[in-house]
Amino acid sequence: MSRGVMLMSGGIDSPVAMHYLLRQGHELLAVHLDNRPFTDDSPLSKVVDHLTVLRERYHQPIPLYVLPHGPTQITLMRETDRHVGCVLCRRFMWRSAEKIAQREGATFLVTGEALGQVASQTLSNMRNATASVSLPIVRPLIGFDKSEIEAVAKSIGTYEISTRPGICCQAVPDKPATRSNLVQILREEERIDVDQMIDDCVRKAVIL
Amino acid sequence: MYRTLRLCSNGGGFEAIPDPPRRLDLARVRSALETEGIRVVDARVMLIAGADPEVTISQNGRLLFKTSDSAAADRAFARFLPVVESATRSEH
Repeated sequence: MSRGVMLMSGGIDSPVAMHYLLRQGHELLAVHLDNRPFTDDSPLSKVVDHLTVLRERYHQPIPLYVLPHGPTQITLMRETDRHVGCVLCRRFMWRSAEKIAQREGATFLVTGEALGQVASQTLSNMRNATASVSLPIVRPLIGFDKSEIEAVAKSIGTYEISTRPGICCQAVPDKPATRSNLVQILREEERIDVDQMIDDCVRKAVIL
Repeated sequence: MYRTLRLCSNGGGFEAIPDPPRRLDLARVRSALETEGIRVVDARVMLIAGADPEVTISQNGRLLFKTSDSAAADRAFARFLPVVESATRSEH
């Protein structure tokens, strides 16, 4: 089986998506973009606890790469159009995950995205976010509705962890774009040093 | 301007919303906080200030105290409120 990199947020969806691929026998590495100071400590502690559950269930080590994403968010907030902030943020997450994948010999990326759940998960936003990377992206939950995902999360023991109290991402703009335009996204990225920001982020990764 | 401190929607912190709604001049608020010796990260559309607990100050006036301890949130609110309000008053 092949090796993939899974983006883990601490929410309900990502451990469920991971569960499906682990069940098929794929080897996974986890990447968490640490969004402090725009969140609190809870997303990271949830990811750590999700992985404890899944490592035990599937007898896989599943290393966790924690990458500092807060400095990237600050630059995006200062330098770019807030309406497309969620898409820009996702593009950085994908690029960082791809860098880790290249370093670790992984051949695909995985996410818990389900179509239409939140602003960043419309078809145009997902397309524009993933246009930043070249590895194939696997979305095991793409057609699931929330109640289906929650039912699986409860059955594998990750739901209670995901729903613990926490601070929502404070970097989400008041009115995030639900239909983004790739030309505009690329224009926004011309204002910042994308490669340097990604290198800084990945260089500071901590493995747990 | 700020009347109540309430648990935020995900239950991970406490928030104070201005009533009536108003837009803060974050540069003034930042300056007022720094004068009080409070460390501030300026993210242009919001400030992240202090520690234990950390406080997010949004342009729309929302204050978010990142703690689930209501007593700690109350103490931080009491510390931040006069600083934010003094910066707001100086706008007039």
